[in-house]
Amino acid sequence: MKHILKILGLLVTISAIWIGLLQASIVSSSYAWLLPVYLIILLGCYGLFMVGVGLMFFPTCPQESHLLQKDIAEAKDFLKRKGIDVNSD
Amino acid sequence: MELADKAVGFLLTTISLSIFSYYTFWVLILPFVDSDHFIHMYFLSREYAIIIPLFAGITLLCFLSMFIGYVMLKSKKKSA
Repeated sequence: MKHILKILGLLVTISAIWIGLLQASIVSSSYAWLLPVYLIILLGCYGLFMVGVGLMFFPTCPQESHLLQKDIAEAKDFLKRKGIDVNSD
Repeated sequence: MELADKAVGFLLTTISLSIFSYYTFWVLILPFVDSDHFIHMYFLSREYAIIIPLFAGITLLCFLSMFIGYVMLKSKKKSA
């Protein structure tokens, strides 16, 4: 419940700032009307950018992968010797 | 394969950066440029700056709801 209240509070502040900008005419009126759309597109672009950067710099650990494969083979062997069949078919 | 992942990541970053710069230039900078500058030929008129994102958002919502409905129908048919 607190999370929803936080998000609602954020939305209310942003809309209050936007309506204040509209009324006080600090920036020209056409800019103030386009600002919410611009902010939403900015948010989408930021999310996409973070996803792309995370994909590009994702660390793969080849040594760990090799050790993990060895562990899996060892475990399969052990279990097969005890009589349990763990083939992944 | 890591190279395919890196290529997709690079593609996503370039797409996001290009959309950001094009839209920023379109909405924020272009109104200050003289109306007979050549750069106006590369940008549509400013009403489209609202229509195109709105249309894309509505298309996305439609696609999402269709996908959710399809998955729900498929799971209901499987359990029936």
